Amino acid sequence: MTGIIRRISRILQNHNNLVGVYAFVVIAIIIVGLLLQSPLTYDQDQLYPKSIDKNSSLDPYDRGGVPFGQTNVVSQYPENEPYLGYVTAYLTPVSLWISETTRFMGTTIVSHPGGIIDEILYNTRGLDTIIETAILFVAFTMAMFLFTRRREE
Amino acid sequence: MYNLPSPQIEGEILAYIPFGDIVYYFSPYTLVLFIFALTFTALAILSRPEKQVDIAFGGDAYYTKEIPEKQMRFQRFMAISCGLATMAGVTTGDIFNFTLLTAMVGICNIGIVASVKNKHVLDNAYEYGILAMIGTLPLFGAAAIILATTGTLSLWEIFTPAVSVPVIAKALLVIGVIGEGMAPVYVAKAEITRAPGAPYVLMIHVSSLLMFLRVVEIIISM
Amino acid sequence: MMMLFDMIVYDLSAEYEAALIITLLCIIISFWAVMREREDLHRLILTELVEIMCLVIIALVATDLAEALILPGLVVGIAEFLALSELYIEKEGLRKAPENVLHIEVMDSAPGIIAVIFVIYGIILSGFTGGAVAGLGLLFYFMCRGSSEKREIIETVSGYAWACWVVAFIVFMAVPQYWFFGVIIAGAGIFAKVVAKMSLIGTMNGDGGEGDV
Repeated sequence: MTGIIRRISRILQNHNNLVGVYAFVVIAIIIVGLLLQSPLTYDQDQLYPKSIDKNSSLDPYDRGGVPFGQTNVVSQYPENEPYLGYVTAYLTPVSLWISETTRFMGTTIVSHPGGIIDEILYNTRGLDTIIETAILFVAFTMAMFLFTRRREE
Repeated sequence: MYNLPSPQIEGEILAYIPFGDIVYYFSPYTLVLFIFALTFTALAILSRPEKQVDIAFGGDAYYTKEIPEKQMRFQRFMAISCGLATMAGVTTGDIFNFTLLTAMVGICNIGIVASVKNKHVLDNAYEYGILAMIGTLPLFGAAAIILATTGTLSLWEIFTPAVSVPVIAKALLVIGVIGEGMAPVYVAKAEITRAPGAPYVLMIHVSSLLMFLRVVEIIISM
Repeated sequence: MMMLFDMIVYDLSAEYEAALIITLLCIIISFWAVMREREDLHRLILTELVEIMCLVIIALVATDLAEALILPGLVVGIAEFLALSELYIEKEGLRKAPENVLHIEVMDSAPGIIAVIFVIYGIILSGFTGGAVAGLGLLFYFMCRGSSEKREIIETVSGYAWACWVVAFIVFMAVPQYWFFGVIIAGAGIFAKVVAKMSLIGTMNGDGGEGDV
């Protein structure tokens, strides 16, 4: 018994083992969690559900609506977003032209302004994106600091 | 609309700030945490860094180690970002937003530690970095499982008794915050608290502590 | 309104339960690998395996929201990986630039024209993908013509891009009737941000331009 405790304390006292210990704890939590409550049921009443219209040229990102008009978007708090749905329906002139002439707009719509993803990223959950860019900003500042310091020597 | 379902945990709602789907709020509990974070961020902005004193043996001579201007500015930037992330993290009303801010606190902590030019400290910063990186999986994993099983990310909805959160998601959320908030362990091991630039190191401890307090409140209310 | 179209709304409840268990098994495998590995560099690479599993578990939700949440998850992973790899180089004291960098004829003659083509195509695409395409062009340019003095300008650009984003967010929150300007500012901001970040990586290769070309 004391041997086991001694072994455990020897592992824990070296901070280089902490990552391994952490990974082990996560594995244990997943196994125990699955045993306690399984299966986990999927809630049918999701926000921003995905609907696919195979006949649309904007497939799979067509959520209906015409540019500069409102669309039905299932968001968490519609009362905080009076202009909800306008970004979803918006298409730039270029993307409008592509969608009218070809059937491949769905493959590139994510890179054009407008659409459901932009609605979520810029409007309804805009703060998440601000924090995400801030994280990138901080990480790049750190990498550049280390890089320039190394180079100046 | 915006009422905390169980006011015995953190008191009645004082104010809320809506940002679209993400609604920040102040209750007596989160307000105290917010004021703590605000105070220490202000300290990081105002205070001058300490200079380590070395005493030469065999005489009265002593000298202070100079901290490079660039390193000081960088550490201050990291400490202030960390403070801002903590301030947002303790008041947020959205589970995914909370996990993102926790990840940001983790990166800022790596930055504060990594700027010290010392092999031993850098070793520790790297170990902590690996831990913070794999710690994002339990964090985001918990948020994703909560979204799938309850259909919402807003804490206002999750706190209501009608919505039940699976045990695995709660446990993963806690272990995720522990992973990102493990920095003080490494800081103490590396004795960076006595290394140059000490006031900014304080931010590591404060941010980890506040994030822990906040996640405890979230888990209890769920 | 929704019924006007021939919509298919997927029912995912049955698949989700099975898929989640499989994903959790994969997560256990990846954490097991992290636990067993002792070599520092290999552990850094293994964290990327963990990050990918993190994206998978978000993607399982399979709504538009999940698709939007993958982006922050991905970015956090990339940002931490970048910072940690710089930290690794610093920690190990690796100073020498790699000796046998690829150097072929096309790297002397083509950078200008290739960069221009990529940037124009990127502007047409716009947004995140456009930024990545244009950034790839500039990355190639800077890698071929090592020019470290441009770094300051690029860093400033990325700072302004971040500010653009904050302005767009304020527009959306404070004056939502001007949503159109918000979209355009945010689109331009993300374009500039991704371009700046990627070309920054281009300037970071080797020892900064004295040695190569």
